Amino acid sequence: MSTNDSTVELACTVNGADVQLELDPRESLLDVLRERLALTGTKKGCDQGHCGACTVHVDGRRVVSCLTPAVQVTGQAVTTIEGVTAQGGLHPLQQAFIDNDALQCGYCTPGQIMSGIACIAEGHTETDDQIREYLSGNICRCGAYVGIVAAVRQTADATRNGA
Amino acid sequence: MTVTDIAATAGRPLDTRRVDAYEKVTGRARYSADRVPEGLAYGAFATARIGKGRIVRIDASAAEAVPGVALVITTFGPDELHDIGFIMAGGHAVQSLQPLRDDHVAYRGQPIALVVADNLVAATEAARLIKPEYETEPFAVKIDAEGANTLVQEQAIPLPFLADIKVGDADAAFEASPVRITGTYEQPAQHAMPMEPNASVVHWEGERLIVNDTTQNANAVRFGLATQLGIDPADVEVTSPYIGGGFGQKNSMHMHLGPIAIASRRLGRPVKMVLSRPQTFHTGSFRPNSVHTVRLGADENGRLLAAIHEVDQQTSRHDLFPCMATEVSSRLYAVPTFRGRQRLVQTDVQTPGYMRAPHESPAMFALESAMDELAYATGRDPVELRLANDAAVDPVTGLPFSGRHLAECLRRGATRFGWDKRNPEPGSMIAEDGSILGWGVAAGCYPGNIVPSIAHMSATDDGTITVAVGGHEMGQGIRSAVALLVARDLGVPVHKVIVQVGDTRAAPQHLTAGSWGTASALPAVQAAVDELRKALDVTEPDDVDIQAAVRAKGKSVVTVEATTFGPGQTPQILDQLKGGGLAIGGPVFPEFVTFSWVAHFVEVRVEPTTRRIRVPRVVSVVDCGRVASPVTAASQVRGGVVWGIGAALREESEVDDHFGGFLNTTLEEYPVPVNADIHQIDVEFIDEPDLLFNPVGVKGAGEVSMVGVAAAVANAVHHATGRRMHRLPIRLENVL
Repeated sequence: MSTNDSTVELACTVNGADVQLELDPRESLLDVLRERLALTGTKKGCDQGHCGACTVHVDGRRVVSCLTPAVQVTGQAVTTIEGVTAQGGLHPLQQAFIDNDALQCGYCTPGQIMSGIACIAEGHTETDDQIREYLSGNICRCGAYVGIVAAVRQTADATRNGA
Repeated sequence: MTVTDIAATAGRPLDTRRVDAYEKVTGRARYSADRVPEGLAYGAFATARIGKGRIVRIDASAAEAVPGVALVITTFGPDELHDIGFIMAGGHAVQSLQPLRDDHVAYRGQPIALVVADNLVAATEAARLIKPEYETEPFAVKIDAEGANTLVQEQAIPLPFLADIKVGDADAAFEASPVRITGTYEQPAQHAMPMEPNASVVHWEGERLIVNDTTQNANAVRFGLATQLGIDPADVEVTSPYIGGGFGQKNSMHMHLGPIAIASRRLGRPVKMVLSRPQTFHTGSFRPNSVHTVRLGADENGRLLAAIHEVDQQTSRHDLFPCMATEVSSRLYAVPTFRGRQRLVQTDVQTPGYMRAPHESPAMFALESAMDELAYATGRDPVELRLANDAAVDPVTGLPFSGRHLAECLRRGATRFGWDKRNPEPGSMIAEDGSILGWGVAAGCYPGNIVPSIAHMSATDDGTITVAVGGHEMGQGIRSAVALLVARDLGVPVHKVIVQVGDTRAAPQHLTAGSWGTASALPAVQAAVDELRKALDVTEPDDVDIQAAVRAKGKSVVTVEATTFGPGQTPQILDQLKGGGLAIGGPVFPEFVTFSWVAHFVEVRVEPTTRRIRVPRVVSVVDCGRVASPVTAASQVRGGVVWGIGAALREESEVDDHFGGFLNTTLEEYPVPVNADIHQIDVEFIDEPDLLFNPVGVKGAGEVSMVGVAAAVANAVHHATGRRMHRLPIRLENVL
């Protein structure tokens, strides 16, 4: 390990599975997910909390995993893009992203979907402008925003209508 | 806007959705750094904190003492890292300067040490502990700074296609013109900032170097690494199947690759390197600062008599990044006389390069702003003025255009936008919410380039078609365009077509840029489909039962290959393709000239108190030949519009005489458009095949979609406020 010889224990769940690791306290949740657990669906876009590509859920709330020290999620439930549905199936928002072509290069897409799922759960989908506002922490450099709003709108409406 | 199906050959619906969307929405698409091999080590750069100078001494002892650090390298031997050259000077790299070879610091942000460690924390910490001592030298980062060196491009780079464009005596015609418009327009430096930073994983298998890299040019990485390390190109394997955005920033070999390949060899371990976001502002290319002076001479009706376009464009001290702004400004309209002059200004930065519509977007901001001024000066409607100056043939060469539907783009766009309701008086239109409405129009064009392409295709007895072709998938949808072509022609389901791109093992991977990717790959794929039909004895244009046809040949797999060229290109050009070089044809071909065309209509709203500028709607009509993949093409155009809005209202890479380098090197301080900035964007295609350009009839869409957007926004801001915008981005203080 590094100059700081003290390591800390992390015990949490990731996508429902128990995880126990010895960590340098400086390791980010993003790097632990990607480099130690090989859950590479979560992306590193800036490592500074500016772009949202690394968005995951911790106990159901969206966080930027690059600014979350991994040790901070001790005892909590982490969900990544790999864990939004049971094996094989698609979450309705994932399907809506495909149907509305809400992506291009795809690099920001897992983060957009994690934010979108949270945005719907938070109830921040009253208007398209509200969706835009609550998804503005997730940069899409390809500029797929029109499709992203359409996908979240479609999924939120279906959720509200009990679909 | 849910995607609808379109008919295949036999009237069956064809799924036109993006073919790799499933992998992308599930997180299964593997980008370059999405690999964690056994024994992986992590690289990190320490970078120079002076504007220019030399390193007197460098103390790496603290870095080396960090537990977990495996290697610290401040200087490679000259025989370890050979020259590979700047891509635009016949080489393979983003610039000729390869850091970590001597004590010279050419610009702030230049890598000065490579650290490799067991984990990211140690690598990052150790890179911070590198202690250099510098001797500083004066530097220039602005093109008007003392010490910046101005060169006349056609003298500095005596290549025919970079010579100044001159048609007739434009200066005399301008002086004699009854109406004269003169304006200077400045484009700031900008950074492409794809969401995926430059990143690679390398390892050795004996003498073979295996590279996962995020690149638009796997050929350049392959041949560049071979040259740099002195190994056989046949021993270098490069894959880049998914690129997290490129936009030109990934179009040649980056400077970390050679160093980490050597580190990997020394350590006997795979090495991963992901450049930090701030470092990508200094280690990759950027759109250079440029200043454009445009003079338009016209008669009283606004018919153009002369155009003069003079450009000063930034380059680095060590390379000449050529300017090609006048290639488009000379051809948008039927102007009988034209004079271009392009100069390069050397400054102390890394070498600038291509960033989406690199020259065309700045050139059209200048030209189309001037055209708007001309419309006001002559009292003509801006759309009418443009239609009145439409060109029947290429004004530079006199050759016909292979396709030009710009007038149709303008007419359709005007109708869809509701342009006839525009009151031309600035500030005269007020929205229901009290904000001031501005409606602006601008046109644009982008050269039709094309490269030779090789496609390998195999049909398997399980009904699968596999296509390997030159091209890189960076979100533009080349994989979808290829799959749709094959599925439509053979009448097979899209999901039975597997497309391999960005893989040097599968086919030569020429640089994918300049909007030539689809126009170059599809003709080769079509030719391969034709070959496959022959090989399977199914040449009637009906749907093919692949399983039955393959089995009827008594085989489990039938494989064919096809090679196609751009118009006028000969097989000799394959040497360049196979040797890792550039083999670009166009836009001037022996018998015609090819461009893509676009018209953008933009509404802005200026909030009366804060003067905040919003863009609630855009209508864009594109002539990019036949639309090969309607869903991904429309997304590409919307993306180009988003980029134009970013250029108009947000993006500027700031420099400072005191510090050197770029200052705003984060995605917080270099603001790109976010979701809340973007509203309605309506896209329409002319969808007329350009069959002179290539037998499939497709032309580029990804860059022309951005060209003219910033001008249309600026013209809309003028319509709202009466202020002419001469510099991008437009800030609140420009409209107070």
